[in-house]
Amino acid sequence: MTRRWMVLGFALMALWRPMAASQPSPAPALEFPDEHGVPTSLASFQGHVVLVDVWASWCAPCKVAFAHYNAFFKEYHARGLEVLAVNVDARRADADRFLATRPHEIKVLFDPKGIAPKRLGLKGMPTSYLVDRAGNIRERHEGFTEDDVVTYRRQIEALLAELP
Amino acid sequence: MAASRTTRIAPLLGAALLTSVLLKSHGAVAQQQDPSLNIQFHGFTDSRSVTVLSPAADLDQDFTDRTSLRMRFGLDAVSAASDSCIRCHPQGANNQRKYVNASVIRKYGDTSLSMGGEFSQESFYQATTGLTSVSRTFNKANTTVAGGYSFSWNRPNLHPSDFNESQIAQNTFVALTQTLTRWTTAQVDYEFSGVTGYQSNPFLRANVDGLLIVGVVPEKRLRRSVTLRVRQALPGNTYLDADYRRYKDDWDLTANTYSLGLSHNFPQWLFSGTFRRHQQTGAYFYAPSYTGSPTYFTADFRLFPFTSNLYTARAVYVPNGQLFGILPTGAGLTFQYEFYDATTGFQAATFSTGFKVPLKRR
Amino acid sequence: MRRLTIALALGLGVVSVAGCATVEPWQRDRLANPAMQFDPDGGFAAFRAHWQEAREGASGGAGLQGGGCGCK
Repeated sequence: MTRRWMVLGFALMALWRPMAASQPSPAPALEFPDEHGVPTSLASFQGHVVLVDVWASWCAPCKVAFAHYNAFFKEYHARGLEVLAVNVDARRADADRFLATRPHEIKVLFDPKGIAPKRLGLKGMPTSYLVDRAGNIRERHEGFTEDDVVTYRRQIEALLAELP
Repeated sequence: MAASRTTRIAPLLGAALLTSVLLKSHGAVAQQQDPSLNIQFHGFTDSRSVTVLSPAADLDQDFTDRTSLRMRFGLDAVSAASDSCIRCHPQGANNQRKYVNASVIRKYGDTSLSMGGEFSQESFYQATTGLTSVSRTFNKANTTVAGGYSFSWNRPNLHPSDFNESQIAQNTFVALTQTLTRWTTAQVDYEFSGVTGYQSNPFLRANVDGLLIVGVVPEKRLRRSVTLRVRQALPGNTYLDADYRRYKDDWDLTANTYSLGLSHNFPQWLFSGTFRRHQQTGAYFYAPSYTGSPTYFTADFRLFPFTSNLYTARAVYVPNGQLFGILPTGAGLTFQYEFYDATTGFQAATFSTGFKVPLKRR
Repeated sequence: MRRLTIALALGLGVVSVAGCATVEPWQRDRLANPAMQFDPDGGFAAFRAHWQEAREGASGGAGLQGGGCGCK
């Protein structure tokens, strides 16, 4: 009987989907120009909860996620959420073409050299990171599906509730 | 003809390679398939007076973040007055083929397993197929190894008699896809299949000593092919695709098939043109006519030597916003025209159109 | 068969010798274009494979499909 539970346990572990970062770790230094060319750094948002999204115009799930992140911003910004959408398109014109058809309030930063994904250890597109008020990465999401929205809300609200 | 030692070893090597790479563990990488609904309409007409109108639907739907379903169903409405029918049906003869194909795909980290089947039914033919495949990506999704197997039980009817024949077809493949640079990707594929059972054509009659007799071909056929494909991104939103396939079977039919295509991206359009050239020898028992008492003889034009050219033009339209104002962003339309021309005098043309609607990811 | 084996070895060689490059996930902009896919629209490719199998002797796959009045 015990062996059966062990086998079941191992099987479940093998199927478990990696979603959250295992340990909080300090977010790397990230500073890139925004849509107006103004250098914007992640560190300047210390004290806020920051959703850092690495995206590109050629990545289909990134484009789906963009609208949801904009909605999170509108809903939670007053309570301290900031969203930084770091675009890694090699050609700025590709990103601009997408943004022109997507009215947004979130901050879009441009990183054509791919510095942010290297420093964040990104393994797939898209990946988003939730950084707490102290500047530590607490959650990581690889990929995006509609079912993730509920999890995002729960995690954002938990981080916003933490005292700075 | 007996398979040589090399042909026995090659599929074993392929299976060993596939097994070894699939067992290697690696960190998970975000893998996203695109759930979508595709509706298509195909039209085909050829110089044998065959016309086919074929609506088809493909559904690719996520059920969970790791399980998805693929279904394809369609109809071939065949309106024909070809030389093989006209003997008994001077006004021509209509036929209809219905088919359904379904697969379940399950992801386990970097590995994807698919199992499914297909069933097709038409007036004088029925085919039932079971298929399974597995693929795994590694090296940050720069390398993909895949393999698969299918088993098919086919039942041709010897019209106008009520007698049904039987045929078993098994197919296996191994494929390796490798990203070579940021602009180049290549794929090499090896396929091996064996067909046993009735493979003659009950409608086509060969000339044997001046008499027209229904052809007789061997009841076993082993087929192998190797395909190499390259996709190259060129400057200025242009893309090149090049494929080569080498085919050989134990009926001594060999073929070389080359294709070269060029695509160009405009803001909401993708235009492509492809040229394909196919050269095949005839089966060893092929002859324009026969004398005496040949063991095998055939009038099946697929077993004749010939060269053919296929010209394809294609346009894909994906607007920035909603298609037709109602379909979700990302929906697109495709138009395709093809013209086929063979040295046997055979010609064919197809026109296809379809639209694709993205569905929600889970 | 010898030519087939050589073609396979050559193909694997080309792919493996140059295959040590690792393209990072965020560098796949050109690779993500539909024109770079091997089968960008499976339904169209399936229809082509279907009529080619009925008209050419060298198609691979799960045996012969279709027949009917010899008209396909």
